[in-house]
Amino acid sequence: MDSSAWGMLMQGAWTTAWISATSIAIGVVLGLLVALVRLARIPVVHQVLGLYISIARATPLVTLVLFIFLTAPTMGIHLNRNVAGILALTLNTTAFNAEIWRSAFNNFSKEQREAAMAIGMTPWIYFRRIMLPQITITSLPGLVNEMSFLIKGSPAIAVIGIVDLTRVTNRISAVTYDPLPPILAAAVIYMGIISLLVWLQRIAERKANRLAV
Amino acid sequence: MHEPATSETTMVSVAETADTSVVAAAVSIRGVSKSFDGTEVLRDVSMEVAPGEVVSILGSSGSGKSTLLRCINWLETPDRGEIHIAGDRIGMSDTGKPMSRRELAGMRSRLGMVFQSFNLWPHLSVLRNVTEAPIHVQGCSKAEAGERAMALLEKVGMAHKCDAFPYTLSGGQKQRVAIARALAMQPKVMLFDEPTSALDPELVGEVLAVIKDLSKEGYTMVIVTHEMEFARAVSDQVVFLDKGIIIEKSPPEEFFVTPKTDRVRRFLELEAPTA
Amino acid sequence: MSNWEILWDSRGVFLNGFYTTLQLFGMSAVLAFLAGCGIVFLLEGSRPRLRVPLRIFIDGMRMLPFLILAYLLYYGLPSTGIRLSAWQAGMIALVSYHGAYFAEILRGCRLTLPAGQVEAAIAQGFSMPGMYLRIVLPQLVLSARALIGNQLIILLKDTAFLVIITVRELTAAANSLSSTYFIPMEAFIVVIGFYWLISIGLEQGIKIIGRFGAKRGFNNA
Repeated sequence: MDSSAWGMLMQGAWTTAWISATSIAIGVVLGLLVALVRLARIPVVHQVLGLYISIARATPLVTLVLFIFLTAPTMGIHLNRNVAGILALTLNTTAFNAEIWRSAFNNFSKEQREAAMAIGMTPWIYFRRIMLPQITITSLPGLVNEMSFLIKGSPAIAVIGIVDLTRVTNRISAVTYDPLPPILAAAVIYMGIISLLVWLQRIAERKANRLAV
Repeated sequence: MHEPATSETTMVSVAETADTSVVAAAVSIRGVSKSFDGTEVLRDVSMEVAPGEVVSILGSSGSGKSTLLRCINWLETPDRGEIHIAGDRIGMSDTGKPMSRRELAGMRSRLGMVFQSFNLWPHLSVLRNVTEAPIHVQGCSKAEAGERAMALLEKVGMAHKCDAFPYTLSGGQKQRVAIARALAMQPKVMLFDEPTSALDPELVGEVLAVIKDLSKEGYTMVIVTHEMEFARAVSDQVVFLDKGIIIEKSPPEEFFVTPKTDRVRRFLELEAPTA
Repeated sequence: MSNWEILWDSRGVFLNGFYTTLQLFGMSAVLAFLAGCGIVFLLEGSRPRLRVPLRIFIDGMRMLPFLILAYLLYYGLPSTGIRLSAWQAGMIALVSYHGAYFAEILRGCRLTLPAGQVEAAIAQGFSMPGMYLRIVLPQLVLSARALIGNQLIILLKDTAFLVIITVRELTAAANSLSSTYFIPMEAFIVVIGFYWLISIGLEQGIKIIGRFGAKRGFNNA
């Protein structure tokens, strides 16, 4: 592999990184919102979100990316490939994140609420200052784990022609006629990204465990 | 064997029977030592258990008594020494090499072991816990193993629970099933490793009663226990282990009434002031 | 003719894709599960000989995207002279990738199994394979059932990646129908419905094992 091949590979890695990071950022926040709305148990909305989570968790990312990218034009929406990719990854990861957030809320001890009310906190201050910080810490290991899954699922966006870290290996081998080196190099880069996340997850677990004691 | 031998073959077999009955203790421990991480737990321990004999091993915690018991069926590998079960060496083949797993499994199936923490298999019913090894280790038919198991469960008073799963049982019930499970292999020797230590006080009696019944039926048993009254009642011999050394071995009346050493006297005062 | 009628007329394409997906899923699920059980068996005992290579295999797989493994087998291997069909490459990728995940799930569960249970089996004269098969493995499956169910759903979804290396499975069927007749919405709704149904079926299956486990005192892990 020459320097131009490495350059292409790095570009592919960058594409994977920014698309995944954008989807993760939106997905974490949106997941929290979905979890909160579900906790409110508003009729119909609750069921609709439940159905969304169930379907999104069962739908392969490849299928979802294709569905979004091919269907949008039939409804008169013209989606850029990258936007379609981000949309699919976000829809997928939000569903998983919502369940992670929800279980953290369900496992939160109710006694702290009484203590907060007793010293005159409003429900909003209680949520913002007491509940959310703790729930973020307990959810973090699960959320980081889901980030690894998103990275591992991200090559799905290659199916609509986004040149990510996986697809770029096809491009490189079209020039060099030797697909093995770029694929191995891409594999090593993926391993680097994921082991970074695994390392972060371990730190998050240590923090969460300290909170549990 | 009162009839005079009429053929050579009979004579040979009589001779052999006579020969082994003289030589083979049910369990023979010779010069066994064992260390964990540099700490000597057993030091050159030797003892014999005759067929049909009930031997209790006493000693304060950390004296090495459980380790000794676990060496008998090679759950722990002694650093030095030999152990023979009914004349056959366990753990090492005659040539001095470690036994293959298969040979070791064969030897172990001649020993029944009852653990402090019962160790029933939670995914199997009470009956299946008892029949699992006879069927899959000894190759018994299901019908035969089932019949034998029901008889044993009857003996330990657990036949009515044969279809229950372990998690529904009390500790005493679990231990009685564990005893039936060990007996199902028709072992030559039964080993008990503090069988009542994990039980609530009110459940101890039912388990000890079962073991007492077994002692009357002529089973060879080695029992590690803290129950002094019980040891006195069932044992033919009491062995006292201190810091990995046997410092007394005597019949219970002698052991509990006129102990030979100060160490045992102090132990008895602490553990069984009334005895 | 409405879009749905077009779909109905070309149901053969769906059914073929559905059949291929089910076949890939069913075969690889069984083989990957057996591979996971086999790996955990090889890790039994105090000093397993293959500990280091198996650890590297498991951790390596867990750090790779599934598609890059499929790429490696389908596009990469021909460089070394080994040429696999897309279906073969996909199958091998599914089995080795998810075999590693199943192994990790069962291994984690194995660590929490009380040592005394295995000791009791050894004391009763069980051989290593007999002990593993009759005492250890059933308990691992009962207590790890939820994680195993999750992994099966991930495996099912990973079969869709194989469309990228040209396997004609369910997502490929939707893709080709939608480009032939330009009815992407309907085609993909049907396909997503298929995936959803299989997932629900899997979850129900796990629930049945759950009842079986609850009867034995195995609560949700």
